[in-house]
Amino acid sequence: MYKPQRVHPLGILFFTARSVYSMGQALLPLLLLAIAQPAIRKWIIVAIPLLLVLFIIYGVFYWLRYVFYVSGQELRVEYGVMVRKKRYIPFERIQTVQITAGVLQRLFGLVKVQVETAGGGKEAEFVLAALPRKTALELQNILQAGGKPLEAAPAEVDPIEYKLSIRSLLLLASTSNGIGVAISALLVILSQLDDFLPQLNVWVKIGTYAEHLAAAKVSLIILAVFILILLAWLLSLVGTIIRFSGFQLRREGDSIKINRGLFEKQQLSIPLKRIQAVKVVEGLLRQPLGMVSVQVVSISNTGVKGEGNVLFPLLPKAALPEFLEKIAPEFSVPLAFEKLPRRAKRRYLLINTIPALIIAILCSVFLPWGYVAFILPLLGAWLGSRQYHDAGYQVEDNTLLLRSRVLGRVTMIVPRRRIQSLHVSRNPFQIRSGLSNLKVAIASSNIAATAHLKGMEKEKSNDIINGFMIQHE
Amino acid sequence: MIGENGVSFLRGNPEQRIDPRAVPYWRWSAAVSTGFLLLVPAGCYWAQQRWHWPTWIAFALLGLTLAYAVYLIFIKPDIRWKTWRYDVSEQEIDLLHGVFIKTRTLIPMVRVQHVDTVQGPLLRHFGLSSVTVSTAAGSHEIPALADDVAERLRDQISVLARVVDEDV
Repeated sequence: MYKPQRVHPLGILFFTARSVYSMGQALLPLLLLAIAQPAIRKWIIVAIPLLLVLFIIYGVFYWLRYVFYVSGQELRVEYGVMVRKKRYIPFERIQTVQITAGVLQRLFGLVKVQVETAGGGKEAEFVLAALPRKTALELQNILQAGGKPLEAAPAEVDPIEYKLSIRSLLLLASTSNGIGVAISALLVILSQLDDFLPQLNVWVKIGTYAEHLAAAKVSLIILAVFILILLAWLLSLVGTIIRFSGFQLRREGDSIKINRGLFEKQQLSIPLKRIQAVKVVEGLLRQPLGMVSVQVVSISNTGVKGEGNVLFPLLPKAALPEFLEKIAPEFSVPLAFEKLPRRAKRRYLLINTIPALIIAILCSVFLPWGYVAFILPLLGAWLGSRQYHDAGYQVEDNTLLLRSRVLGRVTMIVPRRRIQSLHVSRNPFQIRSGLSNLKVAIASSNIAATAHLKGMEKEKSNDIINGFMIQHE
Repeated sequence: MIGENGVSFLRGNPEQRIDPRAVPYWRWSAAVSTGFLLLVPAGCYWAQQRWHWPTWIAFALLGLTLAYAVYLIFIKPDIRWKTWRYDVSEQEIDLLHGVFIKTRTLIPMVRVQHVDTVQGPLLRHFGLSSVTVSTAAGSHEIPALADDVAERLRDQISVLARVVDEDV
């Protein structure tokens, strides 16, 4: 570990694949153009294997040059064929260490290690694509225990463990909010069909088909929509199962280890002191079942895809206090809330119903059966009153709690010392009615990590500001 | 206590004003940007000549653009200057601003990651600089301060922020 070493030779494959991929991405339009010309097509058939060989040679050199080692309190990587690069990362700047075992890596008993710092950028600062599992665990331990050897790992007297049962997994999958995402993914795939197979004129065919249908039977269209939704639901179900099966959370001393994944086994380790805030989400479908999902806000890029930030995907609400107490005691506070004043309700109702009302009016003017859309303002009013009802806040033990709802109910638990900046704003209506909005910014890889509460009593937000100013550190 | 903006905060509002030259600076900067905005009605006029669109569209757009320009050049800079307040103490940076929506922002000094002064060509012409304060969750700007004030403020914040150099 302390001598410069290379990753496993399988790394050659990853380096090669990466350069082919980035090259391919850049040249794809050109390539497609070339394929369309029969004269050039012949040359391409010769050129592609040649290029591939070149890329593999480059990959081998890249692999030869790519070394990493630990020196003092730093992790160092040196790489690059043409341009030599050296990257040194001090241990105390490391936010998270993620160990992933993809299908390919598992064939060789290897894992991928991703080291994240607070620095910007979409990708991890530091990726070791192929390492033996033992080396990876050792490295993770050194990086996060601040250089202590493996033997000094905290004694496993009473490891605190939470596992996601099969039943919970199925419940999680069937209520996952990915349905919307899956529907849009399906639509994207459908729209791509047209680009790939222009001679089929997929959309024209679907269009004429739909016209026939509309002439014939409305019920068939409804059936088609239903099938689309069902398909999307199944996709999101399968996706969730793949990502979250075998979910297991363990607290080891001052860090949390998360294992998950069906095909690609991931192991993420988050030091407790890196957690900026805890977010408890009660989805529309899950809230009636009394289930919550617990997420963390931290400075690491693994959370960008919206899965790396999951602390525990599905937990009975009643088990939440004990869970927080055991796993992240800093965030364990009683979840009692001060409600907003009654005069704040109007804003929540208006903001949800007015746009829906406009849509409904436009629909009923321009579309046959358009007046059905008048169900939207009703739904909006219901949602608005729920939003008002659920909004609340509390200051407890130097911790700020904010609860609000867009669709699902979200509770943010932010320790005072994690608040990066505090904003109180008032629009002209609020200045007249003595209300205010509170916004709290939290450090995260995602710029939008803020907690909001709209329509607080003016005096209460003043209290929070004053308390915050007097007592921070 | 009631502040000048009709916004009251229990603890006093911040009191430092930004430089009065901010007003002409904002006027000119708005004039330049609305100059570009005039391209929209111009483009529309061209399209109308070419494809015989109805005439009123271009004129309506022109009217809207001019009204917006009047607001941006003659009205907003004054209100903006009157409503901007800041204070920098050992403990925190305190900002209050907003033309319609008044926003009070507090940044604890211990959260400041770094501080910059920024000066574009137009700002330089007026002898002004902006101070940008960055935290791990984004950055905040105090616009249009006199050069020497901005530099002093930057150095002051930088020293205060260094006192507690805590890790995020």
